[in-house]
Formats: sequence, C-alpha cells, structure tokens
Amino acid sequence: MTTQTHADHDALAKALRDRVLDRPGESDRALRQAAAQRSASGPAMAEPYDVLVREIGEASYRVTDAQVASVLQAAGSEKAAFEIIAAAAVGAGLLRWQQAVKALNEAKDAPAGN
Amino acid sequence: MRLPEIDRGDSLFSRLLIGFISFVSRMRLPDAARVAFYHKDFSAPIGRWTQAAMRGPSAWSVSERELMAALVAKWNSCPFCLGAHGAVAAKGMERSLVDTVIADYRTAPISEGLKATLQFLEIMTLRPAELTAENARAVLDAGVSPEALQDAAAVAATFNIITRYANALGFVLPTADEFDRAATMLLKRGYAS
Repeated sequence: MTTQTHADHDALAKALRDRVLDRPGESDRALRQAAAQRSASGPAMAEPYDVLVREIGEASYRVTDAQVASVLQAAGSEKAAFEIIAAAAVGAGLLRWQQAVKALNEAKDAPAGN
Repeated sequence: MRLPEIDRGDSLFSRLLIGFISFVSRMRLPDAARVAFYHKDFSAPIGRWTQAAMRGPSAWSVSERELMAALVAKWNSCPFCLGAHGAVAAKGMERSLVDTVIADYRTAPISEGLKATLQFLEIMTLRPAELTAENARAVLDAGVSPEALQDAAAVAATFNIITRYANALGFVLPTADEFDRAATMLLKRGYAS
C-alpha cells in the first residue's frame, strides 16, 4: 500500500447531512431529523414512525411490509416515506462515521505505544 | 420493493432509462440502481459520497473496498449488498479468497493491515459506542496510514447507510448470474448516477 491523496470524506458527509436532514423535502424536516436521531439511539418518535426507524437503526433486516406501509400512509406519499427511511439510515451511518473519526483523531493525537 | 414508485421510476425519463438498461443488459435492473435514479435531488449526495469512497483515490484497491462493503453487508444481514459487492470484489481477486474473507476474515490469508482494518470496521458497524482510540491505534500499528483508515471508515459509513435502506425497502435479490453481470456494470459505471 502507498499513501495517496484521498477524498474529502468530511465534506461529503456534511453535504449528505445538509441535504437529507436540513433542507426542504417532501416530508417534514423535523421528522427527518428525529428519524436520524432515533436510529442513532436517540429519543423515541411517535408511531408509526418509531417502530420502523428504530428497526432501521438496530436490525434493518427485521423491517416488515406492514411497518413500511404504515409509515407510507402516515407520511402521505412514497417520496416522503422514502425520505424518512433514508434519514433513518443516514443517522445510523453518520453516527458510525463520527465515532470512527473521533477514534482515529484521538489515536493520531496520542504518541504511538500509549 | 416496498415502495412501487422506486420500482417503476418517478419520471418518464427514469422509466425509459430503467426499461432501456434492463433491455440492453437482458436482466431486471437491480433495485440499488433504481434507488439511485429515484428522487435524485434528495438522494444524490449518498451516491456522491459512495462514489468517492469506492472509486476515489485511496491506498486501498477497488476490490479491497468492495470486500469491506461486502463485510458490512454481512454484519448488517443485508443479502442484496453482500451478493452485489462480493461479486464486484471477485472481479479483482479470486472468488475463493473473497468467500474465505467473508466467512472469517481473522483467519483469511490477507495482509495484517487489511485484517486490522476489518476488525475496526466490524466494531464500528456492530458496536459503534465501543470504538476507541486503541482500536484505531491497532490499525495504524499494522502499517495502515491514517488516510487509508479514514478511507476504509468512509466505505463502512456509506454501507451502513445503504445496507439499511436496502433491507428496509426490501430489495429484490438477483440470481448469482445477475449479480455477476451487475458487478461488471458497477465496475464500469460506478455509484453516482
């Protein structure tokens, strides 16, 4: 392996967060932000969102047709339901990104062998 | 696919594109590509970060990064992503090695640097709150540069997103032959639609 220039992942992660969580969409912005927090072990949401979003964060393979159908009905459109599902996934992914960056920065700051 | 609009496309252009690619490739366009064409104003930044992580400049080869993605899929129990990215990894390394690493990377014949990195990514994926500087230090001590570890973490972060929406949306599982043909497309076209 050789050291090479690499992508600006922090900027790409920030652009993702900005678009998915902070800008207008088909769904309510506060709902998307709550979904991102919930899937990263944050506070509970109202149903039917909570059960789906928590599942996406903890064990997405257990998501059911009925959970998605309930959120689709509550959200009002497929695009709005998609945004909430994506926001939950992004919340779980960005939590892991932040943890990894923190661990790496602390390791770089500490002298080797400590 | 639990949201039919993603399956059929949300614009005339998307519907034509899905139909055209399916016709030319003689297979159903995989759901990952259908999602990439859907609600693009909203979802494009996911594709951009994934493209940079998987195909951008990095000390890791494309196959090594695809292998990392496949392992995140295994840890998150996402059969679609495990099949898709194992197939792309196998375009650049022996299929038997891909299968060995996926079965147990700890005993697989791979570099100590890659092994230590996969250990970091496993904790990051399954127990993120437990990830510490000591975990990162173990990777650096195995000869991996901080930039390379960050690149690997970006692969894991993006696939911790993709595996979750793939499972939640109920991606249809292609056959082994379809995975193989889709892998050729993914190598050629990348992730940003």
